[in-house]
Amino acid sequence: MDACLAVDKELEKLFEKYASANERGQQTLDEFVHSLKSFISELLERPPDELVSEGARIAIAAFIERARTVTNSVSTFHKDLHGSVSKLGKTIDRNFTSDFSAIITEGAFDGESRQRLLNEVICEHFLRQGLLDIAESLNVDANLGLSQERKEPFLELHRILEALRQHNLEPALEWAEINRDELNKRNSPLEFKLHRLRFIELIKYGSIKQREVLQYARKLAPFADMHMKDMQLLMGSLLYLNEGIANSTYSFLFEDSSWAEICDIFTRDACGLLGLSVESPLSVGINAGCKALPPLLSIRQVMQSRQVAGVWSSKEELPVEIDLGQDYRFHSIFACPILRQQSTEQNPPMRLTCGHVISKDALHKLVVGSSNRFKCPYCPVEMTTGETKQIYF
Amino acid sequence: MADIKTLEHSTLKVPYELLNKQFRGSQKVIDREASKLNTTAGELEKKFQDPRLTVRDVTSALSTMVDNLSMLKRKAEESIQEELGASRVIKRRLEHLQERDTPGIKDLTPPTWWQKNRLDRMLVEYFLRAGYYSSALKLAKHSNIEDLTNIDLFMTSKEIEDALAKSDTKPCLSWCVDNRSKLRKMKSTLEFNVRKQEFVELIREDKRLDAIRHARKYFSTAEQTQVLEVQKLMGMLAFSSDNPENPYNDLLDKNNWQKLVLQFRQENFKLHQLNSTSVFTATLQAGLSALKTLHCYKDDANLRHPDCPVCSTHLNELAQPLPFAHCTNSKLVCSITGTALNEHNPPMMLPNGRIYGLKASAFSMAAVNDGRVVCPRTREIYHVDNLEKVFVM
Repeated sequence: MDACLAVDKELEKLFEKYASANERGQQTLDEFVHSLKSFISELLERPPDELVSEGARIAIAAFIERARTVTNSVSTFHKDLHGSVSKLGKTIDRNFTSDFSAIITEGAFDGESRQRLLNEVICEHFLRQGLLDIAESLNVDANLGLSQERKEPFLELHRILEALRQHNLEPALEWAEINRDELNKRNSPLEFKLHRLRFIELIKYGSIKQREVLQYARKLAPFADMHMKDMQLLMGSLLYLNEGIANSTYSFLFEDSSWAEICDIFTRDACGLLGLSVESPLSVGINAGCKALPPLLSIRQVMQSRQVAGVWSSKEELPVEIDLGQDYRFHSIFACPILRQQSTEQNPPMRLTCGHVISKDALHKLVVGSSNRFKCPYCPVEMTTGETKQIYF
Repeated sequence: MADIKTLEHSTLKVPYELLNKQFRGSQKVIDREASKLNTTAGELEKKFQDPRLTVRDVTSALSTMVDNLSMLKRKAEESIQEELGASRVIKRRLEHLQERDTPGIKDLTPPTWWQKNRLDRMLVEYFLRAGYYSSALKLAKHSNIEDLTNIDLFMTSKEIEDALAKSDTKPCLSWCVDNRSKLRKMKSTLEFNVRKQEFVELIREDKRLDAIRHARKYFSTAEQTQVLEVQKLMGMLAFSSDNPENPYNDLLDKNNWQKLVLQFRQENFKLHQLNSTSVFTATLQAGLSALKTLHCYKDDANLRHPDCPVCSTHLNELAQPLPFAHCTNSKLVCSITGTALNEHNPPMMLPNGRIYGLKASAFSMAAVNDGRVVCPRTREIYHVDNLEKVFVM
């Protein structure tokens, strides 16, 4: 936050300067106008055709002189603010990076077809949030001509989710029934959880709805083998239907977190079924970029100052390792601890009999002569190359 | 925190440039009022030479002076208020940037709402640059970030662009006059090109005398480097514009107006110290690079990850020319659960070489399945006792 604080400090100084410049200017003018006015009213007491006396001439000359000084000083008060204004600008420049052209891959997003791809990604980003009018506006502005079919999956997803957030289970249940086979393949608890919530909503009414509650309980039966424990809990709550479940040990059933959970489960399953990512790819990409840009820029500066900028010109790999954190790790990457290289199909990770993993190339370098025998670089175990095993992460 | 330093320069610098412009404008207003007073004073001094100077003469001149001074007072006050208004925009944005951090905790990922807000701000800027004005306005309004984005700046430029697109040069020329000193410093050719286009239009309408008059007025002061261009233009006078063989057809091309629009847009960016690439593009490139792995481009669809942005169809293509992430340390995730493989979730190998985390459901289910484990990738069934530990350095 130092950068912001530095600018804030200058800005506060500027506010003060403005206030005092304004006050001084206004005050100087006020005082002078006041004395000038009283001089004029003195003059006005004399007959208008009387000649101006020598004394008055001197006084007037002095007033003219002062008028000039006063106006000049008002102008100077303002002019003097320039120092503070431009200092603010310099502080912004000094504390914030203005140029990142050096780390941009020229032309990567240029050209009509690539522009279009990017705009479609943005459009889907809005559709996914249910911001239809913005998506539609972009569709028009960028001339995308997206068909209704392309939009539909996002719209449906959003519609159901919005209903869930309003505690309306109907659309989600309908969707889950239609996609039951697919959901079962994924071992998804979605349908059961939806029925469970519906059941909880019913028991909230207490004993008046006892009949409906019991009837609805049958709907839960088909899920018994997967969710036996949950089911028993639900039925157990019926003991307190008369006294009010909210005051019983089963009050946890009414916690709002169940609704947050169902939204998550639904999003994950629906996205999976529709082949969409759970988070908007654009958000993930940009948030990753916000983490990656600062270290990339600073390494770039170091490289430029040491005049090794050419190293980057290969453009095949970033010059530094950027750790975005666990949330941004989607693929397992094995880098051989000996060769410090990423594994490839030709150079896959191999598990040694002791459990340590190194790359195939590193392994072959360890073998001396034609013996096929070698020692693990990390522990005293010896083995032959045939005993190692290729692994897949 | 570092992300603010790298990404937010234009957030603060653009309103600063507007403040600076306001400052210069105010100074002119104040000086103009001061010079009015100077004139009044000068006239009064001239009257002094007349020995028959009456009280009436003096009082009226002095009253004018009082009027001048009151005007100056008002204008000075107004100017400073406007500058303060411009400074408050910077303050407001600074406050928003500072909301990124919870006081006392350093280097935390910003809150989700703030990240979303940042993406929206970036998108608004990207839209404005691309000329998608209505999308930009809608998004800014929806996300309530109008005062955090440089919408006003771009909206004024939209008016000028629209006029240019309709072959109306007036707004653009008056913009050139407003910013003349800065444009000269930038060695801008915009004004010259606009005048050139006006000349071409006169030829098109066959108003050749007007064209010559226009040329005399604007091209006689042309820079050394522009002389050749002027000569070429003048050559147009010799040809009839409906002649299909006209060697000046490139100059008569209606698309030249579009080029002017783009040139204006670029110069407007430069004038306000905006990068030629948007923050959005730079950030997305950096993010995609940091996420880009070899797996994202394997033919085997099973290696793709549905939540990885680089694996999604459109971004995959966009990221093609970008550098890959640099990786010298292993980063392993369980392909079933997507969680990290580490001491809390150690990697385990099935006899077929496939690695999963110990916490994966396939393993925890073993207890109820008589110790049987099904490999999700090959569908082979193994006994849980055959799992072996793997150590990755």
